[in-house]
Parts: sequence; C-alpha cells; structure tokens
Amino acid sequence: MEKYGIGQPVRRKEDVRFLTGKGVYIDDISRPNLVHAVILRSPHAHAKILKIDSSEAQTMPGVLAIVTGQDWEREDFAPIPTRSAVKTKISGAPLNQPPRHCLAIERARYVGEPVALIVAESSAQAQDAAESIEVDYEELEPVTDQVKALEPGAPQIWDDIEGNICLDFELGDKQATDKAFAAADHVVSLELRNNRVTAVPIETRGAIAEYDAASDSYLLHNATQNVHANRATFADVLKISPDKLHHVAPDVGGGFGAKNSGYPEPPLLLYAAKKLGRPVKWIADRNESFQGDTHGRDQASKVELALDSEGKFLALRTSTIGNLGAYCFTMGPFTPTAGSARTQGGPYDIPAMFYSAIAAFTNTMPLDPYRGAGRPEASFQIERVVELAARELGIDPVELRARNLMRADTLPRKTPMGLDVDTGDFPQLFERTLKMSDREGYAKRVQESRARGLRRGFAIAPYLECSGGMPKEFAGVTFASDGTITLSVGSQSTGMGHETSLPQILGARLGVDMDKIAYVQGDTDATPLGGGHGGSRGLEMGGSAVMTAANDIIAKARHIAAHMLNSTPDDISFANGAFTDVKTDQNIAMEDVIAASFEQGRLPSDMEPGCLDTGVTYERELITCPNGCHAAEVEVDPETGSINVERYWVVDDFGTIINPLLAEGQVMGGIAQGLGQALMENIVYDEESGQLVTGSLMDYALPRADSMPNMQLAFFEDAPTAKNPLGVKGAGEAGCCGAPPAIVNAVLDALKGDGVTHIEMPLTPEKVWRAIAGGKLSP
Amino acid sequence: MYEFQYHRPNSLEDAAKLFDAAGDPQYLAGGQTLIPVMKQRLAMPSDLIDIGRIGDLHGITADKNALTIGAMTTHAQVASCDKVRESIPALASLANHIGDPAVRNRGTLGGSIANNDPAADYPAALVALGASVQTTSREIAAEAFFTGLFETALEEGEMIVKVTFPVTDCAGYEKFPNPASRYATVGVFVARTKERVRVAVTGAGLSVFRAGDIEAALETDFSPDALDGISISADGLNSDLHASAEYRANLIIVLARRAAAKANAA
Repeated sequence: MEKYGIGQPVRRKEDVRFLTGKGVYIDDISRPNLVHAVILRSPHAHAKILKIDSSEAQTMPGVLAIVTGQDWEREDFAPIPTRSAVKTKISGAPLNQPPRHCLAIERARYVGEPVALIVAESSAQAQDAAESIEVDYEELEPVTDQVKALEPGAPQIWDDIEGNICLDFELGDKQATDKAFAAADHVVSLELRNNRVTAVPIETRGAIAEYDAASDSYLLHNATQNVHANRATFADVLKISPDKLHHVAPDVGGGFGAKNSGYPEPPLLLYAAKKLGRPVKWIADRNESFQGDTHGRDQASKVELALDSEGKFLALRTSTIGNLGAYCFTMGPFTPTAGSARTQGGPYDIPAMFYSAIAAFTNTMPLDPYRGAGRPEASFQIERVVELAARELGIDPVELRARNLMRADTLPRKTPMGLDVDTGDFPQLFERTLKMSDREGYAKRVQESRARGLRRGFAIAPYLECSGGMPKEFAGVTFASDGTITLSVGSQSTGMGHETSLPQILGARLGVDMDKIAYVQGDTDATPLGGGHGGSRGLEMGGSAVMTAANDIIAKARHIAAHMLNSTPDDISFANGAFTDVKTDQNIAMEDVIAASFEQGRLPSDMEPGCLDTGVTYERELITCPNGCHAAEVEVDPETGSINVERYWVVDDFGTIINPLLAEGQVMGGIAQGLGQALMENIVYDEESGQLVTGSLMDYALPRADSMPNMQLAFFEDAPTAKNPLGVKGAGEAGCCGAPPAIVNAVLDALKGDGVTHIEMPLTPEKVWRAIAGGKLSP
Repeated sequence: MYEFQYHRPNSLEDAAKLFDAAGDPQYLAGGQTLIPVMKQRLAMPSDLIDIGRIGDLHGITADKNALTIGAMTTHAQVASCDKVRESIPALASLANHIGDPAVRNRGTLGGSIANNDPAADYPAALVALGASVQTTSREIAAEAFFTGLFETALEEGEMIVKVTFPVTDCAGYEKFPNPASRYATVGVFVARTKERVRVAVTGAGLSVFRAGDIEAALETDFSPDALDGISISADGLNSDLHASAEYRANLIIVLARRAAAKANAA
C-alpha cells in the first residue's frame, strides 16, 4: 500500500495552517471601506413591540443605517423558508409554518430574537447606537417548555396556530405494536428527556456582505456549513436570483449543525451592503452565540418496551414531544419526527415498532439539527429502556442485550421503521467491545473503587444510526499543465479534515501524489451544487463523488493511454498509477497520460486538450447505517455526586476506513459532545420569565480535556456497504449516539445498590447526590 | 467596551494622583475580571490605571513567622514560588488551581481579593490563615477586609500593597469547582496554628465566612473523623443553577473533612 493510500493514517494537511494561526476565518477577512453591523436583540421572551424610537441613535457618530422590523416589512422581503424534509401532519395537511422574518415584526417571541440592525463606521459606534434605541415592549406571558406549551390555557405564541402545535407525526405499525404489547409478559415504561444543548463552535457565527452595483450582484463570506442551500434561502428572502449571490465559506471553526441553518443575519447584511454601497461585517460575540445559534435535542419522550418471559423484545412504542422554539427553523420540524423515528430500536431485533411525535412551538431560540439530529435521541431512548428492563426483569443487562441483537445472517433487512440495514455484525462488535473492556478485572476494580469510598459502574451500549443530508454531491477535477490538480467538492469541512481525506481518495485512485492536489470547497462558484456538511455525509457523499470523478478520469485516460501505446482501450489495464497493455506489457504512468492530455498531437482525434477535466454529480439511493458499540466504566463519589468516566471502549463499523486518524478524531469528538450532554451541558430557560439562564460559558458547562477518559477505539471493517462506491458508512455523529447511554447507564449501574433507576440528563453532581440520598433529603 | 483613558504609572504616588484627577477611575491589576466585564459593557470606567509597573506591589518575602506577598503577584508566581511552597504549601496549591493557565499568568492576589468574588479561592485562604492586608493607608485583618458580596473594607482610591500570612503548623484547601466556570461552588480552607484551628468557607455565602462548629470540632480532634455527625444549616447559603443551598451545606462538611485530611498529610 502506498504512503497516501486509502486506509492510511495520513496526517491532516490543514493542521499546519490552523495550528500556526494561518487559518482564514471570517474575522480574519477585511475589505476596503468596511463598515460594521450589530444586531439589537429582544431582551424579552414574549412581548409586543409597540414602538421603536431610533431618532437619537440615527444622529450618533458614525451611524450609517438603522433597520427595524417595520422597515423590513416595507421592503416586502420574504420570510425565511423551512427546508424540513417532513412537511405534513398525519392528516396530510401542511405543517404550521409561521412567517420567520429576519427581524421581529410587531412581536418578539424569544430572548435574542433580532429586533433591529445597526450599521456604523465601527463596531463600537454601532453598539453605542444600539444602546440608545428605545424599544417600547409590552410583555406577554411566555412558555418555554414544550410539554407545558401543549397544556390547555398555555400562552399562545402564534395567534393563528392553536395549541402551539407545528405538526404531529407517526411511523410504524400501530396495530401490530399495540397487539404485541397486549400479549406481552412484561412491559417496561420510562419517561425521559433528551436535554437541550447547543454546539458552542469555537468560532462564533459571522459574515461579510458586499454588493456590486455594476453587475447588480452580491458576494457573501459567511461562517456557514452549507453555501448552496443557504444561497437559495437568502436569495428567496431577498427575492433575487440565486446566481446573483456568490456565497463563500472560508475556514470555518466548527459547526456541528449550528452553522447549517438559514439565519436572519446574512440577508440583513446583504440588504445593508446594497443600501450603503459598502461591505458590511458582523461577528457574533459568545453571548449572541448562546442566544442566537440554533439549539439541539430537547425532546420529552415516553418509551415502552414489550418483552416475553425469556426477555425477548416484542415491540417498542415511543411517543415524543419535541421543542421547536418559536419558529420552524431550517430543518427544525424534521428532528423530533422522522429524524428520531428512523433509527428507533437501535440494532435490536424488534418485530413491531410505533413512533409518534408532536412538535411544539415555545418562546425559545428555535431548534435545528445538532450532531446526530434525532439518532442520538433514539439511541438514548432504546438503551435506557433496555437497561431498565434488565433491572426490572432481573436479567444481566449485558445478557439481555446480547439476546436481542439482530444477527448478521438476518441482514440485509428492513426495520419496522423502514431503515435498510444492509451489512454489519452487531453481535460480533458487541463481543469485541466486551473483550476489550476487561470484564475479568472488573470485580477487582469495583473493590478498589470501594476502598476509596467510590461506587463503580459499567454499561455497554450498542448503537445503530444512519447518514443523512442532501442526497446529491458534486466533485470536479481540473488539471493544469504544470502538473497541479484542483479538486472541488460540494461537501464541506468545518474542521473534519476533508482537505486531507478527499485528496487522499483522488490521489490513491489515480495513483498521483496527493500533495499535488489542491482542494477547494465552500464556494458556490467552484461547484454547481453542493450538500455542504451534515448527516455524516462528508465521505459518504463527498468521498463517493470524488471516487466517481476519479473513475471517469481513468476511463478517459485509458483512451489516451491506448492511443499512446498503439493499443485499444479494452486491452489496457490500470493499477498502481499506471496503464498497461495486457498483450504487450508496455505501460505508461498516469502522470505521463495527464501530461499528454494537454497536447492535441498526443491525443486521439476525438479528444481535445483539457479533456481530463471532469465534473460529476453522485446521487445516493439509500442512506447508510453506521453502527458500533460503546462501553464505559465510571466512578461516582457518593459524598458529592461527582462522576468520573474512568474507562471507555468503542468498536465502530463505519464500513471502509479511508483515514483511521481522522475517523478516530470523529469518534473522540463525538464522545466528548455525548459526554457533555450526559453529564453537564444544558440550555436552561427560566420558566417564568423565559430568560436564558445559561447565556455564557460561566453557566453553560462544556467538557474539557480533563473530563475525558482514555478511550480505546477499534474499527470493524469486514462489512463495507455496497450503497456507495467507497463502501463507507459515515463517522461524524456516531460518538454522540453511543456516549450518552453508555455513560448514563454506567452511572445508574454504579448506583443500583442505592435503588436509583433513573436520573435525567445532564447527570450533574447535585442530581446524583440527591438520587443517592433519596428519601433522606427534603425535596 | 466603551472608550476609556489608559494610564500606566510607575509609583504609588503617581497612581494616586491619576486616580484623584480622573472622573470615574478604576485600578487595573491582572484584569481577569475587569476586562471581561468591560468587554461586555457592564463596567465603564473613564480611566483605567494599570498598576502592573509599580515596583512596591511586587515580590514575595518569607521569614520563619510570616510570608508576605505583593499585591501584583500572579497566581502562577505564588504557585511556583519555593518560599510559598515551603512555608504554606496549601497556599501554593490553591493558587495553582485558580482558573486556567491564562488566568493564573495574568490574575493577581491583590486583584482577586479587591474584587472579593463570592466564589474566589483566595478569600478563604486569607481568612483561615489569619492574614493581614497592607494597603496604601493602613493594615486590615482579613476577616475585617471581606465585608460582603463583592464588597471590601477598601475606601475609594485605597490600594492593596501586600498581604502577610502568618506561617501555620499545617493547612489544607479543598474546592468543588463549578462545572462551567470552575470557580469554587464551595471551597473550604482549614488551617491550624498553635493548636488553634481556623476554617474558612468560600463559594457558599455572599462572602467568605468562618465555620465555627467545624473549627470547634477540629480543635478538639484535628482529624477528618472529628466532623462525623456535624451538619451545617443551609439557611442563608447561596442557591443557583449549579448548586442548591442544601447541597452546598453538604459540600462544606465533605470538603472540610477532605481539607483536614490534606492538612494532616501536609
């Protein structure tokens, strides 16, 4: 295998740039004549906007423009559309989509909702002006919790949407499921929440908008995960043709879903840039990031599992109330509905399943996909109810799981949720994880923990999830006569390393040095379409497009090689970067064929110089199913309730591994965010006032390096998928699916002697301490 | 941030003159609280007087009875100073666990105690160790120095010059960090000097306070077990998103026991 071949741990090409401060993020970009914008945001969760007086602010030094909701309405711009894949209620009627304008018009519906745009020569001047704008609010009663939003008499967020319901949803066979429950020996039921979290990317959002009057077109540099989809969204809002908007994402410092959405700020900036004839920049500060970046999860669910007398799973029934926030954001309605339904039941053989959901509006920042978008929620739901079932039936939780995993010889199959599970070996992964986790030494470790006054617990959590995101992807390859190759792909890295992994695929397939391959992404001019980032699609879609392009290039180069070797294409084989005439054994290197492709005299008559340049669109038919198994050992300090995740093991089946270094990085990052959700991360709104309580890093707890266990990771590569030409299944979100159930169940295992059966995430020290102390404390 | 005038005097006299002449001045020590607050536009001094270049505020001296630390000494300097580590190792250890490396390399002893954040670590050390605060005009006992929530005995324009810690027989500090900010949810400093025991609690109240019942129990028997059966009332303790008053009351006892164990091991 060559140095940069597929499967090699090639170090990230982009890291030198990032680690030496040479990355170019939005705030590193300036423009001549640049002016600065700030957004005035609602301080109230729910309030009528009676009057906005900006007369004093207009006269302040440096102030160039102030735009309010009324001004915006006068311009007759369109509301920001939702792109949710689920668009209808159970009845078939369309979901309730209230108009989401870039500025609040007449009423603010969450803390942080944009109320006015202020542009000035400097950011400080714009802030000064923002502070002197007088907004006359009439406060209304807010509701922030989705369960309470559905109660009779709850505050109505939209006058024309009764009961705060966006849509209802169901999937599966209700009759068969109900029947199985009625006949079951055991029914185990658990109410639980997937807590609300937010991505906290290290780079906050920001953008620079420019307008060129001569061509009547716009240029937008934006910290986004998805230039093409958002170009369409912003063009819709401004009522312009998408080709009038050139949308560029430079280096982006983390996204995790929160930079996928169609946010209100970019259209506001584009509008101001045209109005002022000057480039306009806006950078969110961290407080704005907590208020105005989309949040994730926030589902209240009831999960029920039916079992027979032997502990065999018969049926699963889940009902969820999802919090949408005040509006349908870009994909908001999808997550608690189809996003959470598809992978219900995980890797278990469950003959009957039924999932139902209601998505509710509340006076909170809207929700959108966050790393996993429903699959981590589903994984947590099944693993928690299985753990509880083991406890209630008196069966070892490891044994109960092993008894119910789908067997490899039953694949391919379609789950009752319609998921096509093609390849994998769940029992084998489960066994490997158990073996790695040194079960023999466990009893001794429990004793050692006990000697230090600590409780130790173990849990294993197999998961099955799926990829997602846009089903098409583009890859373009252009060759220059100096030997450089430029690869442009419509998928996008926000830090995951595509600048390494995608050239690695092209270089390996063509047999050329990947260092000669320049990589371009995040630019609507560079690729005719692109699905950006999301749904673990980077390799599955972007990588498959690159592979398809490479195959097209090889097919064309084969003709050139045949011509150069005086042979015919059918007699030419290609391997290790060289074309060989199978009859004469004469061969020629790909690099020589590329060099020849610029000279008409060396080409067949039906080919022209530059003929190797290739652009392909790859389209998926079926989503892939990454799967794996996590296991965790934790120590709990009963005196303080604090938790130390002490040991951690994972075996993942991501199909073919292109670059194990990058794949491991994805798993570790996913575990960090899963651990964060399980133990500390939590967006909290005050129920009475609707204020965001966790509005800064002083109150929103993130995991740090010392929160993380040593992780022992392994890959199972014996079951690549045939759903794409690379055999990859996706890796980006898997860690978030496995970590919360592994960690939470391990803590509950540690506390089984204390009679604790459930604690809601995040498992903060006080909650754990209270659970242990039980009835000994007042509530 | 709002606009302000920046000054960097070289002497206490010049600093005082600048302070008197300004409209709404603030002394700037390490800036680890003041600068973030200014960036959020929650503070708007007209003049910022950077006292980092004033020689009188720097330096650590020790003799067999006392350790004296200049107000502008950073947490990192306290943590790594051999004199501190030898005479009061618990103080060096405390400094080594404030914030993160960036905070420890900029934040100062004087700045921390002048701010008197209810969750700061240093106030517990000063009160438990019976330290005294030397200012530009007087000497103030630690217990009289910390007067309330972000309140101290400092008068307008009065500046901390140095802090003197009497050397103890043994001491230990234990804190339970807030998972987000890593300030002390509760921190307990236990110190024993000539058979007298002083126990100071930070993070749990509006300002640092002494825990009399714990002191009495440890004076009878300076061992963690001496605290068995003692409980602390939750009345008046802080209660927030991360910890209720009841939980903090529990932490005070748990941490006092662990701090006493550390002191015994020291």
